[in-house]
Amino acid sequence: MKTLLAVLKKEWMETVRSGKLTVLVILSVLFGIMNPAIAKLTPWMMELLSESLSENGLSVGNITVDALTSWTQFFKNIPLLLVVFVLIYSSIFTKEYQSGTLIPILTKGLPRYKIVLAKFILVFSLWTLCYWLCFLVTYGYNAFYWDNRTVSCLFSAALYWWLFGAGITSVMVFFSAFSSGSTGVLLGTGGYVTAAYTAGLLPHIKEYSPVMLTNSLQLLTASAKPDGCMKAVLVTVLLGTFSVAASVPLFNRKQL
Amino acid sequence: MDALTITNLTKKFGDKTVLDKLNLSVPKHSIFGFVGKNGAGKTTTMKTVLGLLKPDEGRITVAGERVVYGQTKTNRHIGYLPDVPEFYSYMTPYEYLAFCGKISEIPAKDLKSRCCGLLELVGLKNEKHRIKGFSRGMKQRLGIAQALLNRPKLLICDEPTSALDPVGRKEILDILLLAKEQTTILFSTHILSDVERICTDAAFLDKGTIVLQGSVSGMRNLNSSKKYVLELADRKDTEKIMQAFTGLTLNQNHELVFREESGLLFSILHFIAEQKIPVQKLEHMEIPLEDLFLEVTKP
Ligand SMILES: Nc1ncnc2c1ncn2[C@@H]1O[C@H](COP(=O)(O)OP(=O)(O)OP(=O)(O)O)[C@@H](O)[C@H]1O
Ligand SMILES: [Mg+2]
Repeated sequence: MKTLLAVLKKEWMETVRSGKLTVLVILSVLFGIMNPAIAKLTPWMMELLSESLSENGLSVGNITVDALTSWTQFFKNIPLLLVVFVLIYSSIFTKEYQSGTLIPILTKGLPRYKIVLAKFILVFSLWTLCYWLCFLVTYGYNAFYWDNRTVSCLFSAALYWWLFGAGITSVMVFFSAFSSGSTGVLLGTGGYVTAAYTAGLLPHIKEYSPVMLTNSLQLLTASAKPDGCMKAVLVTVLLGTFSVAASVPLFNRKQL
Repeated sequence: MDALTITNLTKKFGDKTVLDKLNLSVPKHSIFGFVGKNGAGKTTTMKTVLGLLKPDEGRITVAGERVVYGQTKTNRHIGYLPDVPEFYSYMTPYEYLAFCGKISEIPAKDLKSRCCGLLELVGLKNEKHRIKGFSRGMKQRLGIAQALLNRPKLLICDEPTSALDPVGRKEILDILLLAKEQTTILFSTHILSDVERICTDAAFLDKGTIVLQGSVSGMRNLNSSKKYVLELADRKDTEKIMQAFTGLTLNQNHELVFREESGLLFSILHFIAEQKIPVQKLEHMEIPLEDLFLEVTKP
């Protein structure tokens, strides 16, 4: 346990001192501000555009914005935050493989699974931190300008999307445990998302696909019920657990 | 019991056999020089001992305990200095050692004094900067400090001196000599003068097998390594001897050089006595390890 804590502390130090944490926190806050800001600015932009639009024969009706507009923006933009997150942390193992920094550590008799575990705990917690930070900022602004209570199932929707992201962090750890370069990790993670999307299009398997968790708009507008996602939740949790568990023997077998 | 025993180790990369039934044993409290050309397989052997590479065949034991690939249990007996040591560049040397100490489960109360002691030993005590800007030599020193941290029974150093200037090399060798008090040292190199300077034992690696192994003093006294130099007063006599015997060579100073094989020395001396040839000089020459190495690794 003590050694695991030491490795975790080292990972944290790396994230702080390399400036990754600063970048992520700034991005999360910016993304959080952007959602209500875009919602706020939409009517104004439409007004600006309306002249040129009406010249083209399009008329713009009165646009009303509320918390739903802002939350729609949130769920539209959060994939971008996830992509940035994956890009930053896709090299969390591979950088160490390439520079050889793991060798002095492992040759001290540190069990390899502790490295996998520490790195997973770090990316998982950081994803949680970034996601909920972004959420909180948007939530605060929305509460100030509008009323968050007008959207239905907000917390389930947010929790599901967070889970989808958390699933991706564990898949990323899985591919990192055996691919030597970060390209492999990105391809593998991309492959997981593609497979999930493909499954999400097929009629019978659809409800099992983790992509179901990102159907947030239907939850917000009450056109879907949170219970409908239960199978997808189960699949995502199982896949995530399996990914992390399977990375241990894979990493044990890796030649460094 | 030996600190390290390797029996019949075979390692292939694809269809290329790098190690071919290699046998090696490193006696306790020795400084063991592991000599081989570039690409001979020194690093491969060491990494296999550390469980970082999977052997195709063979058995390795460290302090009597068997090495299992991927399971790093035997590594608690070992300190390792990689050939190109890389450490976390965002830490200071002290922070790095303290981190290593925690993962080797050194009791917290000893940790500080041990880290400081080692930093002093390798001359990095006053270095408060992060590892990022370190030179090769500084990284090499930090490498030795981290390798000695858990008081290993076996210290494995992969070419600790090859990237250093003469002063740095001497300093590293001196540190190794100091470390000898507490541990067994296996170090690879292709600098034979380093072996002559500090090693008690050595092994020569060529084409994936050990071609010669033993104590350094024993190697020096090897029969095949005994050479004689004979100088005669008259050049004509030199030619006479050259014609009468085989296996002699002439060096630049017109001296005869030969190996003591099947009583050659006595036959020549007999010949000289019979013919009453005046002798200027007869010398027993100790050949440097380098020549011995070149000889045993001849293609
Ligand atoms: N990961 C690898 N994949 C394929 N071949 C490898 C690998 N590692 C080493 N080799 C090959 O194995 C041989 C031995 O390499 P090794 O690094 O053990 O040599 P060495 O004795 O340490 O050489 P040097 O003195 O240059 O450090 C080389 O021919 C090298 O090409
Ligand atoms: Mg090498």
